[in-house]
Parts: sequence; C-alpha cells; structure tokens
Amino acid sequence: MLTWRIAFRNILRQKRRSLLTGLSITGGYMLFVFSYSLTEGSYGNLIDIFTLDNTGHIQIHKDDYLDKPKIYKSIRARARVEEALDSHPRIINYTPRVYSPALAYGTEKTAPARVIGVDMEREPMVSRLKEKVSAGTYFSPEPDTDGYFQAMIGRGLAISLKLEVGDEIVLISQGADGSIANDIYIISALIGNRTSFDRMAVYLPLPAAQMFLTLGDDVHEYALLVDNRRRNLQVAQDLSAALPDLTISPWQEVEATFYQTMQSDKQGGYAMMVLIVFMVFIGVLNTVLMSVLERTREFGVLRAIGARPGSLIRMITLETTMLASISLALGFVLVIPIVYWLTRIGFLIPEPIDMNGIEFQHMKGEFSVRVFLYPMLFILATAIVISIPPGIRAARILPKAALGAH
Amino acid sequence: MYRIIITLLCLTVTAQLPVMAREEVRARAVIDRMEQLYRGDSSDATITMEVHTPQYRRMLKMSAQSLGKELAFFRILSPKKDRGVTTLKRDEEMWNYFPKINKVIKVPPSMMMGAWMGSDFTNDDLVKETQLIDAYHLSMTEDESKYYVTLTPKEQTVTVWGKIDYVISREPMLPLTQSYFDEDGEKIRELTFMEPKEYDGKLMPSILEMTPLNKEGHRTRIIYDAIDFNVPDITEQTFSMRNLKARF
Repeated sequence: MLTWRIAFRNILRQKRRSLLTGLSITGGYMLFVFSYSLTEGSYGNLIDIFTLDNTGHIQIHKDDYLDKPKIYKSIRARARVEEALDSHPRIINYTPRVYSPALAYGTEKTAPARVIGVDMEREPMVSRLKEKVSAGTYFSPEPDTDGYFQAMIGRGLAISLKLEVGDEIVLISQGADGSIANDIYIISALIGNRTSFDRMAVYLPLPAAQMFLTLGDDVHEYALLVDNRRRNLQVAQDLSAALPDLTISPWQEVEATFYQTMQSDKQGGYAMMVLIVFMVFIGVLNTVLMSVLERTREFGVLRAIGARPGSLIRMITLETTMLASISLALGFVLVIPIVYWLTRIGFLIPEPIDMNGIEFQHMKGEFSVRVFLYPMLFILATAIVISIPPGIRAARILPKAALGAH
Repeated sequence: MYRIIITLLCLTVTAQLPVMAREEVRARAVIDRMEQLYRGDSSDATITMEVHTPQYRRMLKMSAQSLGKELAFFRILSPKKDRGVTTLKRDEEMWNYFPKINKVIKVPPSMMMGAWMGSDFTNDDLVKETQLIDAYHLSMTEDESKYYVTLTPKEQTVTVWGKIDYVISREPMLPLTQSYFDEDGEKIRELTFMEPKEYDGKLMPSILEMTPLNKEGHRTRIIYDAIDFNVPDITEQTFSMRNLKARF
C-alpha cells in the first residue's frame, strides 16, 4: 500500500509533465480504438452485405462443387441434411438452391444465363432476393393455367434480350441425365440492376428448376445463416462432423479471395496501430527515464535506508502503469461517444456502394467489448514493458555514487 | 534430257497407279457394303439407345428414317420428358427441334463434336458417318476371316480423327469394330458391332456399342428393335423442315 501511495505521489509531483504524458497515452488509445473500430466495423459491414445478400454464413455442397461445379454433383437425401440443420441451435435459417448455366432466348436474341433454382419460402429468409425485385412481383410457386412456371430474371439479361415482365423466356440447358433441358417460363419480375452480380441470372422456383434439369429432389447447395457471424467456423465444424459426406464451407472459403484480401489489409491496419502506440510510448519512455534520472539522489537515499532493488523496479512500473490506467480511463470515457457515433451514423461515403440494387451509403464502426478492451490491454502491457528498463536503471543505483550526484 | 525425265516420271506414275487404285477400289467396295448395310436405299427403324455414365443411366426410344446417304431423321418417342425431340440431318447440316419450346436449333459447326442427345455419339457421327468413302483414304489388309481397313483423312477433310481402323468379318460380311485414333495415334474410342440378327431378310448387327476410352464408365448402346428397308413411305418430304416441326 505504501508503494502505491508513493507511486501516486510521484505522478503528482510533476503535474504538467504527467498530464502531457497521460494525454499522449489517452490520444494514442483513442486513435487505436477509433481505427480498430472502423476497420472491424467496415469489414464487418461488408461481410454482412454479401453474406446476407446471397452467400450466407455457411454453404454446403457435394464434394468439390464449389470449385468445379458439375450438374450431377448434387446433394441427395435432403431430409437427413435438413434434420441436421434444424437441430443445430445456432443455425437460424437455411435455403436449398440449384444452379446451371443455360442459353436464354428472348424474342429474337440469345444470351448465356445462369439458372438459379430457389425455395420461394426459405430464400427470402437467407438472402435479400425479395428486396431486389425492381419490377414486377416476386414469383409464385405454382405454374399458370397453361403449365408455365414463373421466372425472375436479372435486369442485364432483360436488357440484352429485350424482355419485360409478362414476356416469355425460353431456356435451354443440359439436364443431369444428359438430356437437353428446354422449357418456357413467364417473367414475373426483374431483379437488381444492370451491374448486379446476378444481372444474367434466371431465378426459378426450386421444383421448376429441378424438373428442368432432371434433378429429382436433389439440390446443389444449402446456404445458411447462423446467429452470430463470428461463430460460423464453429458451426461449420459441428456440421462437418454431422454430415461427413458433404463439404461444409464457411463464407471465408466461399469468398476466399475477399477473405484473404481482407486479412492482409487488416494486418496492415494492425501494424499501423502498433506503430501509433510505439510512437506514443517512445514519449512515455522518455518521461519515465527523465523522472528516474531526476530522482537519482532520492533512489540513492531509498537504497541507503534499505529499499531492495526489486521494490524500486516495482515502484517505477507501478507509477507508469498507474499513469497509463488513468489516461486509459479518461480515453475510454472520451472515445465511447465517438465510437457510438461511428457505429450508429458513420461516415457518409461520397460514392455509395451498390450491392445488387441495395445501396450502402455509410462507413460504419464496430461497437463491442473487444474494440475497447484489446487496445487497452495492449497499451497497459506496453506500459509495463517500457517501464522495466528505467526501473532496472533505478535499481542499479549505488547509494554512494547517487548521494554524490547532483 | 528434259523429255527423258518427263517420260520417266510419267512411266513411274502410271506404273504405280493401278496398284494403288486396285487396293483402294477393293476397300471402297467393302466399306460401301458396310455403309449400305444399315441404310438400304431407304430405311425405317425403331431404336433403343442406352447411355451409361458413372452418374446416370438413361434409355431413349426413337424412330429413325434415312434416305440415301444424305438424309436422316430421328424422333424421340420416350421418355415422356423428351418425347418429340427431333433431329434432322441433311447433307452436312443438322437441326434439332424441341417441341416444348417450339424451336428449331441448327447445330453449329462448333458443336459437331458435341454429344448427341447426351450420348457418347457425337453430332458428327450422325452427319459424317455416312461419308467415310468420300472423306478418307482407304487401305486394306486381309486374313482368312477378316478385312482390316485403315481410313486416313484426306487433306481437305475436316475431322478430329487421325485414323480409323475398321475391322470387318468376311463370312458373313459384317462390321466388327471401328477404332478411332487422334492425331497423335492414341486410341480415343471404340465402336463395337454385336449380336447379328436378321431384319427384313438381311443379317446385320443388332447392337452398336460406343465406348470412349478417355471417359471411364461411359458407354452408349444403340439397339435396333426393328428395321425395314426400301420403304416407299419415305420420300424427300420426310426430311423437310415441315416434318421436323410436325406434331405426331
């Protein structure tokens, strides 16, 4: 307790110097928290954009369908898969899909298209398909009186084939049994805009797509959402154990290119933050060294009356840590409203990001325990580490030489 | 001097010509008979096609008509899903008709090596198969029971095959196998003729089996359920665009 009091007294002895040092730590902490929050937040936002838009947090395929899609690499015995998905407490929603390339015929032109068969009911619970309808109405699962199913087509396809809502679209593809798939569909809606990733897509109701491609009841993919995006790797592991014959891919694998770019960008960001802290603490180190030099005689006296070297080191470390803690407490109080603002409102992006017809205008931060805690712990650890060399220096002081110094 | 060379040249050329020609003529005669086997002047057949792959097995029943070398017409009878899909071959051109979407689609030259109706036969097999004599140089060896004809493409022939080996049994004179080699001399696929049966008074193999050697587990069988030759109903009209799109 005595050491604490002495340490505290020592901080107050040079009020102005302590204040300036403390403020630089506060500033460093706030900068750290701010940029950390922004990095995590904007990437988190981006991840939410595409996972919730289409990808989902985890996808399930047969074998290497993800890398080498072949129509016959399909998921059979779906009841068993859905049972496993239903029984996992962290999985909120899932949806089956089938895919196939096709040739689409408009009135006079043809264009390559991507057929995507989706479960009408489940798909809107996993992706934003329903929100992306930009003309017409979301399709219905039943064929019309003439036996034609409805389709929703990407706007790009509609433009190049000169098709409108209500027109017929003819699709030709290869069925899973090698037969030539061919059928007519009635366009019920246009999807997204001409830059969307699914601008050349033709969405069909799942049963219609399965019939078209002679897939029986098989599907190519399950996309699913979990309750906490950051837990998806754990859920993926559980599913791999439950469904060993299928390939479970978290979004980190599905969007591997994005994920790797993000990881290296984040690492660059972390390096920058560490650099900020490093520069702040060069100043702190200077202060601590100064105060040790200043107090040479004092330490000499302490040593002479029997203070052990260890307690001197402890005292100096405690001083620095205490100063850092006070500064961090101040920084914490000051940065909370800033991060809160960043998370709630965020920066306005001059050019809004358009994700398939849904606009994102703000760059936002992340408001979470880790955003505040990690920088705090890192700064405290640094404070302790950099106070040790001056401490050792103090501990090595010889009373005789010290008492003779000025 | 100049004249002597010309004369010599002429002599050597004319001396070799009959030898080459005689062999080629014999080979031609053999191949021609084989080609005639399935065709007659005109033919009307019911065919079952079985496609085996590691992923699926598929069976198609179809009717097939032909007239001469140039005209052929196929119509799928079952399964129900594919019923009415029709293929028309005229000279070296080919069209498919899909009744469900009411569209005639010409098979472009780039798709000629593509699978016909998901089988191991290519579109090209249907179109060019009948042109062997015109498009290939023939050479032949024979032993007591078989003829071995080697077909190499003529310079102007557009084909992916570097060589076709055709084995024909002498008695009865029926085809046995055709082996297709690529330009590096590697065997790519084999067509086997099996189980000769008598149809309309004519003995011919009832099963054709195509096995691609570069695709494991793939195999297509064509089984002749029935075939009639020289059918008077089959005329040029059978091979018209109108008939291609006709309801039946």
